[in-house]
Amino acid sequence: MSSFSGHAGPGKAAFLAGSKVGRDSLLEIRSPEFARPVPPRTPETPEVVQAFISRHRSFFILLVVLVGQLVLLSVEITRDRNLPLAKRWAVSAMAPFERSLRGLVDATGGTWEALRDLSHAEEQKHELGARLAADEAHIRDLSEAAAENQRLRSLLDFKTQAPYATVAAEVIGSSPGEGSNTVLIDKGADAGLAADLAVVTPDGVAGKLVAVYPHTAQVLLITDPAAGAGGLIEKSRSQGVLKGAGRGRCRLDYVMNEDDVSMGDVVLTSGLDRIFPKGLPLGRVVKAADGNIYKDIEVTPAVELDRLEEVLVVTSKPAALEEAKTRN
Amino acid sequence: MPAPSERPINVYRVHPLTIWITAFLALVLQTFLPVVLPLARLIDLPLLVVIYFSVMRRSKVFGTLLGTVLGLAEDALSHGFLGIFGIANALVGYFGAWASVQFDLEQFLGRLALTAALVLFHSLALTGLRHVLMASPPSFQPLDLASLVLLNSALALVLFQVLDRFRRPA
Repeated sequence: MSSFSGHAGPGKAAFLAGSKVGRDSLLEIRSPEFARPVPPRTPETPEVVQAFISRHRSFFILLVVLVGQLVLLSVEITRDRNLPLAKRWAVSAMAPFERSLRGLVDATGGTWEALRDLSHAEEQKHELGARLAADEAHIRDLSEAAAENQRLRSLLDFKTQAPYATVAAEVIGSSPGEGSNTVLIDKGADAGLAADLAVVTPDGVAGKLVAVYPHTAQVLLITDPAAGAGGLIEKSRSQGVLKGAGRGRCRLDYVMNEDDVSMGDVVLTSGLDRIFPKGLPLGRVVKAADGNIYKDIEVTPAVELDRLEEVLVVTSKPAALEEAKTRN
Repeated sequence: MPAPSERPINVYRVHPLTIWITAFLALVLQTFLPVVLPLARLIDLPLLVVIYFSVMRRSKVFGTLLGTVLGLAEDALSHGFLGIFGIANALVGYFGAWASVQFDLEQFLGRLALTAALVLFHSLALTGLRHVLMASPPSFQPLDLASLVLLNSALALVLFQVLDRFRRPA
């Protein structure tokens, strides 16, 4: 590039001295290297410049772009305000697309939300179902515990009030078969039990021990045909013998036709069998008819024998019996 | 790596419409995504578009102009002065195109490194411009800067793979 910048030197002094000179002379005079002859302008010079610019075109474009933006920025900054028009155009151009995208996302999000809720609801349903089942089981357990508590409480009351010694036992099994009339309890010889001891509940007589093992014992229920107990009609005081009749029923034998027996009468133990203490409920008369000599009486047990869970085994004989034994 | 003069350079072309549609979509998404996804504030989609096309076209003029246009559009959509993003993106476009001639950027690692470097440069350029022109205090948070570079580079890998499908050898 030729130097057109002003240098305060001999050249300028000569120029200022003022003789009319041509363009070439002026160039010569204004050149910083005054003494050196300036090469005459050749047709190649613009081409070299052009080639240089062309070679660095991209850089010049970058420069122009940067300078242009810097000018723009400086204008904005010095005036301290944005160009609202450009911004308004840009925002207006984008707004419809953004609104559409928003709508799309909302719709997709809504559908997704609904699907997720549905899936969540399904999970919740399963979870609640499982929780309900667990709660129901818990309630059943609690009810069971409450019922057991109630039974044990009445058993304890009965045990406390009974005028004889007893051992509490739990029914742990029954004999197989539909007409099962024996049950197994969890106490045996090691608890001081022996055969022919009465087995009772707060409701009444359940049966008697027929077999005693070290840790368990077998109870013959009063409904078994082989079972028997001295019975007494509570109201008329008529005595008889209660025998098992199978299928959950008993018979009261040897009650005279003349005796006053009616349905619903309570049958108690008479104590004469020397097994069951006197005065315990045996059952209730459900059928009473005259026979040849003796009445035909059917009794339903006082104890729900098919739902036995806890029982008391009477380990001491009634005092009256003990006295009678002593007298004999 | 062979010298640029010895290395064969693949030049690709895409339909101009593809470029402008991509650029426009990048702008729309750039303004919309942060609304629904706060993490998207760290993403600069127009910048990635500038990097991709300037590298692919290997033209410094094109890179400069595309960077300027997209940068000015970003400026117009932001609350700042017009020109900040314009200058930074123009520089990125220019240097991206320059690097595409100098280095082999067809490889995964080359692309990743260049993208990371340009994103970092862009961020520094923005900070510098704001500091110099608007006297805003320079705020260098290394962790934020690293997150910015990593996130944008990771996104670029996916975006570039997608955009590669639209290019054809020139």
